[in-house]
Amino acid sequence: MRAPVLRVEGLEATYGPMQVLYGIDFSVYHQEIVVVLGANGAGKTTTLRSISGMIETKGLIEFKQEEIGNLRPSEIVRRGVAHVPQGRGTFPELTVQENLRVGAFIRVDKDVSADIDACYQNYPILYERRTQMAGSLSGGEQQMLAVSRALMSRPQLLLMDEPSLGLAPKIVEDLFERLVAINTEYGTTMLIVEQNAQLALSIANRGYVLESGSISVQGTAENLVKNDAIRRAYLGA
Amino acid sequence: MLYVEHIWVHDMDLLLQRVFDAVTNGSTYALIAVAMVLIFKATTLINFAQGEQAMLGAFVVLQLWDWGVPMWGAVAIGMCFSGVLAAFLERALIRKFDPADHLPLVIITLGLFLVINAVAAIIWRFDPKSFPELFPSGNAFAINNIRLSWYTIFAFTSCVIVLFVLQTLLSKTKIGLAFRAVSSNIESSRLSGIKIGTTLQFGWALAAAAGTLGASIYAANPVLQIEPSMMLRALILSVTAAALGGLDSLWGALIGGLTIGFVQSVVVQYIPFIPNEMSLSAAVIVLLIVLIFRPSGVLGTRAVERV
Amino acid sequence: MAAKIHIQEGTATYRKYRIAMWTCFIISLLLVAFAYVDVGTISIGSNKYNLSLIRLDKAIAFTIAILGLQVVVGYTGQIALGQSFFFGTGAYLSAWLVADHSWPFLMTLLVVIPSCFLIGMILGLPALRIRGLYLALLTFGLAAVFPSIVKLDKLYTYTGGAGGKLTSNYKFVAPSWLPFDKVAEGLQKIPFLGGFFGDGPLSDREESRMWKFILFSIIAAICFWLVSNLIQSRPGRAMRAVRDNETSAATSGINLAATKTLSFGVASALGGVGGVIYVAEIGIASPDDFSSLLAIYLIVGLVVGGVGTLSGALIGGLVYALIPDWASSTQSISFLPQRWLQGPTGSLILGLLLIVLTLFLPGGIVAGWRKVKKRFLQIDSATF
Ligand SMILES: Nc1ncnc2c1ncn2[C@@H]1O[C@H](COP(=O)(O)OP(=O)(O)OP(=O)(O)O)[C@@H](O)[C@H]1O
Ligand SMILES: [Mg+2]
Repeated sequence: MRAPVLRVEGLEATYGPMQVLYGIDFSVYHQEIVVVLGANGAGKTTTLRSISGMIETKGLIEFKQEEIGNLRPSEIVRRGVAHVPQGRGTFPELTVQENLRVGAFIRVDKDVSADIDACYQNYPILYERRTQMAGSLSGGEQQMLAVSRALMSRPQLLLMDEPSLGLAPKIVEDLFERLVAINTEYGTTMLIVEQNAQLALSIANRGYVLESGSISVQGTAENLVKNDAIRRAYLGA
Repeated sequence: MLYVEHIWVHDMDLLLQRVFDAVTNGSTYALIAVAMVLIFKATTLINFAQGEQAMLGAFVVLQLWDWGVPMWGAVAIGMCFSGVLAAFLERALIRKFDPADHLPLVIITLGLFLVINAVAAIIWRFDPKSFPELFPSGNAFAINNIRLSWYTIFAFTSCVIVLFVLQTLLSKTKIGLAFRAVSSNIESSRLSGIKIGTTLQFGWALAAAAGTLGASIYAANPVLQIEPSMMLRALILSVTAAALGGLDSLWGALIGGLTIGFVQSVVVQYIPFIPNEMSLSAAVIVLLIVLIFRPSGVLGTRAVERV
Repeated sequence: MAAKIHIQEGTATYRKYRIAMWTCFIISLLLVAFAYVDVGTISIGSNKYNLSLIRLDKAIAFTIAILGLQVVVGYTGQIALGQSFFFGTGAYLSAWLVADHSWPFLMTLLVVIPSCFLIGMILGLPALRIRGLYLALLTFGLAAVFPSIVKLDKLYTYTGGAGGKLTSNYKFVAPSWLPFDKVAEGLQKIPFLGGFFGDGPLSDREESRMWKFILFSIIAAICFWLVSNLIQSRPGRAMRAVRDNETSAATSGINLAATKTLSFGVASALGGVGGVIYVAEIGIASPDDFSSLLAIYLIVGLVVGGVGTLSGALIGGLVYALIPDWASSTQSISFLPQRWLQGPTGSLILGLLLIVLTLFLPGGIVAGWRKVKKRFLQIDSATF
């Protein structure tokens, strides 16, 4: 098999005296959509924050065969990792258009405006609101904006932390459809943390289950959907 | 009848004169206030040394001018000097602290206050010196007793120009965009690849440069002289101006500055039971009222309190 | 490391250790008092450094004010910078009572303490709504306006305007039963060291100075004792809870408003007491002594000793009373150009201390000292 885009080995993270991740291993391959499931407080957000360099960690984090564990976030973004954080991922005091420009902050090419236009085509509502403060958008619009903002850096790997949080089911479905479209269109690899396991597994290739800082179950999306423990815990079956 | 009219005219003259004074003072407070607003926007920190940094910058301007550098060239170099110094100070003294933990940061800026004040006094001594006249002297017009000096016009105009320049810088340039992004959401800024430290340094430099211009204009007032403690009073007045504007709005700082100038030169003069020397106290009372009833500032648009 | 001594808290050895430490402290205080009651200078090279009791009395005044800051900033976590306001209020109130109503100085404490306590509580009320940096701003403003308030024409008869209020009509007279002369004589007989203690009996002025020093020390001791009891009491624990996390303090049933106002009141009262001692020592209350600079210097005192340590207040008081004075008495240092010694060098040193300590020794000198002490002596806390 090809070398993974992202390889994590023995990842440990602590907040002060409290250890949150106890040596987790996983990989994400090119063009894959991988989902991470887990209860509240399992360490999902911490895992994503470790990858994008927001917290200090022990263990190996490799992106495209290069160690990125000790790089700063600004450097990691430049290598091609984008991260949509949990909750508020936008800049409320900036306009929609400015939010997108910040997303393209690391880029020096001339295509930024074209990309912004492309984004407006996908989300006409953002075009309508382009001069409004992001803080005045609805939750769903903010999430569209947050994802679009992350994509503006033209990432190879997109990390997403609970994109469905607080959104109506219809909007979540649209969002996930859009993610699949991006995945096929640009070949963006994705690592998605989700509570909505049903929907997430329906678009994912593979998944991992995180329990109290360790990976307890992993497998292809089909196998995970069939797994009894997972059905009970996350699919409400 | 004629007599009464005469008094009325005379009073109108006085009032207008005081309004002009208000504009003069208000513009200079606004420039220092703008500097504090820039730093507050970026880091939610109030820099107690802002006035002293500005004073130091103005002394550098004076020194350069003494050495024969043309006036506005001296101002430009002085602004660059304080910008670079401020960027260095941010890196060396401010960055290592958690922005949410206010006490150490307040202490550091108070320490800077003392150090800068002392260094300036050691180098230039406490005796007041006259500052080069940045603007044409004399009056733009004088009718009866109303005199509108060129200084007032230019001080106000410079203030407006500075605000326009700053606004353009913040809204049209990439670093300005980064600056506003950082002040809006640090986490997402880091995730977008913005280097927070460099951006904040830029904010500090910009603030110090604006402050230095403000102090130079302040010292260039024909009725004032420059000396190391000239900013002690101005600091309180400027902070109040900034707070009136909500601490995070550039134009709010201008309006706040004019309001404070107005309170100082007009309101206090017309309320018989408030003595003249109370203008500083009046500002502090305004500050108190603002902080109690509208912590987001009278002109602030932000609904959430940032502290 | 071999020489490390362990003492268990609560044992007889521990009590003996405490008593020995305190005795040493008090004896050295008295020795200093007698040694410096008249000469009052130490020479290093060509520079003479003043260590007279006048300086030490000022240090006591500042110590008590800083103790107040410890309560409100150190233990309650409110960034209140306006201690100079209450220091000035105490000083002026006391000066007015002494000069115009012929009160004895110590009696003015009976008025100053409750007044400052009340003013502090009232001015603290806005602080219930104003927090963090905004509070710092407002209290700094308060400190800045004090001189202009006492300079008001309307208050001239009470405050003496820009010239200040003289209290030289009042003299501290040492009671005759105090054996000052005998002690002095005894000390002068000590071989070799006797010379440090001057010769002959103390003059009246010296006795009066000595008496003041002892009185002020006792007042300071009482303040320390009261504050340390307060800190350990229920309200004191509430203060620390508010400092550590306001929200969780409120949810665990602590009355935020009461705790904060109490802390403001106590701090202001201590500021007032400091002011009384200050004016009792220098004999005049003048407006510009109580400017926003004093407010910052008191913060220096707070930080240098260590924020949130009681003994830090003493160190802070000494540092502020001595360093600027010593800096200005330093006439020559070989490697420094003259110019750097003639300006406000003291202010420069204090500012640098503030920055350097905050960066490198956040606990102040007391924390540094504790670290050093820990190498040699370990006090094990009582586990039972
Ligand atoms: N900044 C922090 N400081 C201290 N502890 C933290 C911090 N952030 C998270 N934690 C703790 O680390 C653990 C894992 O947190 P994390 O945010 O990674 O969980 P999560 O799986 O994302 O949960 P959720 O589904 O609720 O978002 C939790 O117990 C949390 O309390
Ligand atoms: Mg999470």
